[in-house]
Amino acid sequence: MSTRMTLGLAAVVLAPIVGGLIRGLDRVLTARLQGRQGPPLLQPFFDIIKLFQKEPVVVNRTQVFYAYLHLALIALATFMLATGGDALMLLFILAFSTLALVIGAMSVRSPFSRIGAQREIVMMVAYEPILILMVIGFYLANGSFRLQSVYEASRPMLLSLPLVFIAYLSVVMIKFQKSPFDLATSHHAHQEIVKGVTLEFAGPYLGMIELAHCYEAAFFLGLAGLFWATNAWMAALLAAGVFAVTLLLDNLCARLTTHWMFRFMWTVVFGLALTNIIWLYWR
Amino acid sequence: MSSIVSSEAILLLLLIAGPMIFGAAAWGVRTESARRGVVLAAVGCVVASGLALALRGPFVLAGARWLEPLGGILEAALVGVFFALGVCRRMWLVAAAAGVQAGLLVWEHFGADPASSVAPPFIVDPLSLLLVLIITLVGSVILLHGIGYMGRHAEHAPPTAAQNGRFFLVLIGFLGLMNGLVLADSLRWFAVFWEGTTLCSYFLIGHDGTEEAKASARRALTLNALGGAMLSLGMVWDHRQGGTGLISNLIANPASTPLVFLLTAAFVKSAQMPFQSWLLGAMVAPTPVSALLHSSTMVKAGSYLVLRLAPAFASTPLALVIALAGAFTFAATSAMAISQSNAKKVLAYSTIANLGLIVACSGINTPLAYAAALVVLVYHAISKALLFLCVGTIEQQIGSRHIDAMGGIFFKLPLTTTIAALGMISMMAPPFGMLVGKWMAIVSAGQTPLVLVLLVIGSALTIFFWGKWLGRIVTTAYHEKYHLEKIPRTMSAALVVLGAMVLVAGAGVMTVYRAWLRPLAISTLSHVYLQPDSLGLLQSVDSFMGWPIMVTLLVVVLAGLASFFGLRRTQVRLPYLCGENVVVGTRTFEFRSVMDQRTTAQVTSYYFTHLFGEETMTRWANLVALLILLSLFARVSLA
Repeated sequence: MSTRMTLGLAAVVLAPIVGGLIRGLDRVLTARLQGRQGPPLLQPFFDIIKLFQKEPVVVNRTQVFYAYLHLALIALATFMLATGGDALMLLFILAFSTLALVIGAMSVRSPFSRIGAQREIVMMVAYEPILILMVIGFYLANGSFRLQSVYEASRPMLLSLPLVFIAYLSVVMIKFQKSPFDLATSHHAHQEIVKGVTLEFAGPYLGMIELAHCYEAAFFLGLAGLFWATNAWMAALLAAGVFAVTLLLDNLCARLTTHWMFRFMWTVVFGLALTNIIWLYWR
Repeated sequence: MSSIVSSEAILLLLLIAGPMIFGAAAWGVRTESARRGVVLAAVGCVVASGLALALRGPFVLAGARWLEPLGGILEAALVGVFFALGVCRRMWLVAAAAGVQAGLLVWEHFGADPASSVAPPFIVDPLSLLLVLIITLVGSVILLHGIGYMGRHAEHAPPTAAQNGRFFLVLIGFLGLMNGLVLADSLRWFAVFWEGTTLCSYFLIGHDGTEEAKASARRALTLNALGGAMLSLGMVWDHRQGGTGLISNLIANPASTPLVFLLTAAFVKSAQMPFQSWLLGAMVAPTPVSALLHSSTMVKAGSYLVLRLAPAFASTPLALVIALAGAFTFAATSAMAISQSNAKKVLAYSTIANLGLIVACSGINTPLAYAAALVVLVYHAISKALLFLCVGTIEQQIGSRHIDAMGGIFFKLPLTTTIAALGMISMMAPPFGMLVGKWMAIVSAGQTPLVLVLLVIGSALTIFFWGKWLGRIVTTAYHEKYHLEKIPRTMSAALVVLGAMVLVAGAGVMTVYRAWLRPLAISTLSHVYLQPDSLGLLQSVDSFMGWPIMVTLLVVVLAGLASFFGLRRTQVRLPYLCGENVVVGTRTFEFRSVMDQRTTAQVTSYYFTHLFGEETMTRWANLVALLILLSLFARVSLA
């Protein structure tokens, strides 16, 4: 087996562990910011283990496909991120993964789950162009769409794509369901749509989705680290910085509406990323 | 003269005249069952002739002296029909366009040098072969579906509807005209087929004879007649500049003025903005018509012409404007599709968007972009035909084409819905052809920033309208009881065949690309200087491996099936409705609310009409598209 293959498989195994720790840390720090004790660091793992031990219960049988699809595709995306595959295809696979969850949430006749799903689609549409612009930025800086070129670049991406990085920050906030973008589901109790997209999933199938969220946490912070891929420590620092900012803003902001988010992302954030891209063309 | 009776000539005759003969037979027979037999035979003949041509491979048919004048006579006859239609039905624009065409014909006839060549009027090359395969294979499946569909359509069609016989005459003949169109190298014959398809679409769209159908048919005829006039203008201009009246010659010695006129004609035919209204109106027609117009024929004639002419405008100042026009159409119509709740209209906007993508890729003029255009062309034809046939089947069953009315059709129509879901997934998800095409398009647009931004916007919006629609149709109630729907066998056979085509062709997209589309693109644009950057992108796409995605999907399907059948009946429970659920059959949308009243929970979709509403958006988007088109004419002086 080649080193790249080994690296990819290692990432698929390690990502949920790292992601689980990130999510545990998120919960501990959020609790402390709110003056609570909070759960132990390993709580996300306990939750997932507990969910997998439960009896499988579904609202309709087709749901199981969507849960599997959601998890398998995010694992595939993690594999591609680690092996340095095509960045654009990576995004499409990521989008397909989220779409699987959305379709799963819409396949049940529950209004709460479906409102969450509708919002999740709008969220996808809101951040998808930013991610594609980010990949185009990588291409303009390195001359290749393969992530391998980012790993091998001699100059950190952040120096070429500072505005895209700021735009990416808001993508992470949406993806992690953080205020002001926690529209489709939330980890806090102040939601008017109960539990949104994940409401009608239960037992091991909810466990799979939770596991997929661990993957997502590791994936998106890993992608943030890619902006300084020349040095592992700087990459880790960058990822930690993104994590800290999302956490802080989550506790500072109130949730806003879907339309507001859509307009904000397609004007301010899109403009920010686009400015950076245009600058790269004219350089 | 001996060459005329060669096996090649017979094959071409079979492809072009064969469907027309079968059409005439379908018109002539008296009973419905006999007609069914004739149409079935036509399906077999069309498929066989298409495959035979593919096996024969590229060739050039030697010309005959009488072919060119015959084309002239046919064109004059068609122009006469248009003029008569325009005058009798009071479509003055059509009459005016026909008048202009007639004038041009006469002028050209008396002004042309009599030494018109005996150059080959028909050429079979890889591009036309590709198009013939799409037309014959996808087109014949649509015919097959049409047998069952029209049998039922006659039952609840408005009394004004025309006879099924005439319908099949035009529908089958259409395939012959399309075959001729993509095989013709002589502009004269090309124009004959071009006008022929316009006339056919007029009859097909107006089939039901309602006021709406008539108005749509009139709009389609008006716009396409104007497009036809553009084509004539381009032809005459080419002739006056010393052209030989052959498309291959026009490509070898490009002159920008005729090119721009031909491209405008192609834009009208493939419903690019600002000419999209005729295709949107065309959805009032019976489903086989919309499926045929939208997927393998009619609109593909326009994108075929753009692709055919691509080497002529490559690396001229025209290319960028063409790319922009296509990309703008792609982004704007993808946005408008979001605001639509009419399923056929969503499909129509998506068609226009994908045609825009093809045009945009032709304008980027790198081999990779051209290959992307071909990928979109092929896979769009299959997937869109499938989706139109599914929507038509659903509409006949539930009596509505409203997306919000399609909730829960999964257990009423499990077969159709599964295939429709497959079609939708194939339009937007990896590893299917449409996504691969879109991916190649974005990759190849790396050097043209404005086009790139429009493609990014369009492809993000695409997820929106497919996602919400897909979610709607796969909704299932708890404790499903699946009854396999009772639809005519020809309809279900057509759906299954197309579904299998989507799966097989989708899985093999990279193989098709490497073996066929990529060499075709490289040879077409061989004269264009390839920048090292574009070459690198081409290589990076080449090295893409589809198998990890396939393996992942396979694992998901197997694991999913195991869990699906592993669940016990007691493990399927009611959803949470914030109150006590009321169970009525398999419905679970009612719950007890305040004062023990029964309340039905309802959720509709997001349409974002305030942002992407059709009326507000069409106005300014048409204006922008018109400006882009005008700047195409303005760039002629630069070229």
